[in-house]
Amino acid sequence: MSRAVNLSSKIMTIALCAFLVLGTASCARSVSPEAGYKTGISDPIEPFNRGVFAFNNILDVVLIEPVAKIYNAIFPSFVRDGVQNFMRNLRSPIIIGNQLLQFDLKGAGVATARMIINTTAGIGGLVDVASAQGLAYEPEDFGQTLAVWGMGDGFYLVLPVFGPSSLRDTGGMVADGLADPLRLLAHNTDNMWWYYTRLGVEGLDTRARLVKAVEDLRANSLDYYAAVRSAYSQKRQSLIRDEKAGDSAAIPDYGN
Amino acid sequence: MRIHLILAAFAFVLFASPLAFAAKTDGTEAAQFVQKMGDKALTSLTARELADGVRAQRVRTLLHENFDVPTIGRFVMGPSWKTATAAQKSQYMDLFEDMIVATYSKRFAEYSGQSFKVISSTPSGETDNLVKSQILQKDGPAVLVDWRVRNKGGTFKVVDVVVESISMTMTQRDDFAGVINSKGIEGLLNVLRQRAGKVAKK
Repeated sequence: MSRAVNLSSKIMTIALCAFLVLGTASCARSVSPEAGYKTGISDPIEPFNRGVFAFNNILDVVLIEPVAKIYNAIFPSFVRDGVQNFMRNLRSPIIIGNQLLQFDLKGAGVATARMIINTTAGIGGLVDVASAQGLAYEPEDFGQTLAVWGMGDGFYLVLPVFGPSSLRDTGGMVADGLADPLRLLAHNTDNMWWYYTRLGVEGLDTRARLVKAVEDLRANSLDYYAAVRSAYSQKRQSLIRDEKAGDSAAIPDYGN
Repeated sequence: MRIHLILAAFAFVLFASPLAFAAKTDGTEAAQFVQKMGDKALTSLTARELADGVRAQRVRTLLHENFDVPTIGRFVMGPSWKTATAAQKSQYMDLFEDMIVATYSKRFAEYSGQSFKVISSTPSGETDNLVKSQILQKDGPAVLVDWRVRNKGGTFKVVDVVVESISMTMTQRDDFAGVINSKGIEGLLNVLRQRAGKVAKK
């Protein structure tokens, strides 16, 4: 059993290296505003992505969205907020590590203070006491770290179940998983079910918060796939820049 | 001589200060503009008993008063604008506006007690202000909405709405590009017509 796990984590490491090399090689963004419009993220394997996207969409409509709606209906918002706070607190080691890798010492300090305050005064992370003290949650992951180091998206990639990603962000997600001390703890104590449960709850919490937004986008977009790709790309760019104000798209003045 | 200098300085202060004053209050004025628009939308568009036709008409009026629809529509169409014929452009603009009116009429009809608060306003470029606001929900976290407000010769017009860092015009531009790339401008107009037909039947 442990040999199999060792082997699989080796394969993951090799896959990760391949991702990193490929990602660096395809750094350049292909945006040419004049010759036919292209979105901010390149999508050379669009037919494949559209296939996975269609599959995810069916899975979402028949299973994930109904579960998310039931979850929203059953639990009052303070319970759901508690779940989100708890899941965010569990991500603290990964966030602190990535802030340090991005040389964002202030961010690392905030994340560390948040973890200490919320784990103690916030009853094991259920209450986000730190936010009320001006220490806001800031999500970080290795995909963002690679971007801060200068790596491009690579290209747009829709993952089965996980949904929109990019080559770089997929590599980042694998790296975060491998480095997560909580995954190592679960692995070393033969409690991987616990880790997978956590992933599931994280996913449910995220999806449940997006119910309205997804309904809106589905109803109002002409090409739902293209709209989601655009929204994903914009959101990632904003996270990479740590949401600095005033950076949103400049709308030209056409003089009308 | 000295009196001339004093007069010149006095004149300078007189003429310069209103300019400086205008530049300084611009951000506040943009913020007030957004707050006023939000308040008006919440009071005049959200009533449950409002007939759908009346609500749609009010949305259209509010849209014309507060949004730079020609700029938004053109930006959303992307580079294809340059190759579109005059007839296509005018049809597109009508369909685009109808689509916005239909979308927002539905949203306001589903209103469930949200309130609206402007937080700050920062200049962005030469003509724009980015007004940050929060939509406070009864159940769930506040939604951050930024309004890109353009000063067009003294009147303010919204040119973009950015919800949780996602620009609505940019998303729609990419969305429309998906259709234009596969079906062309006529294809886009057809899809928009079909949409409008569906909405009208409802």
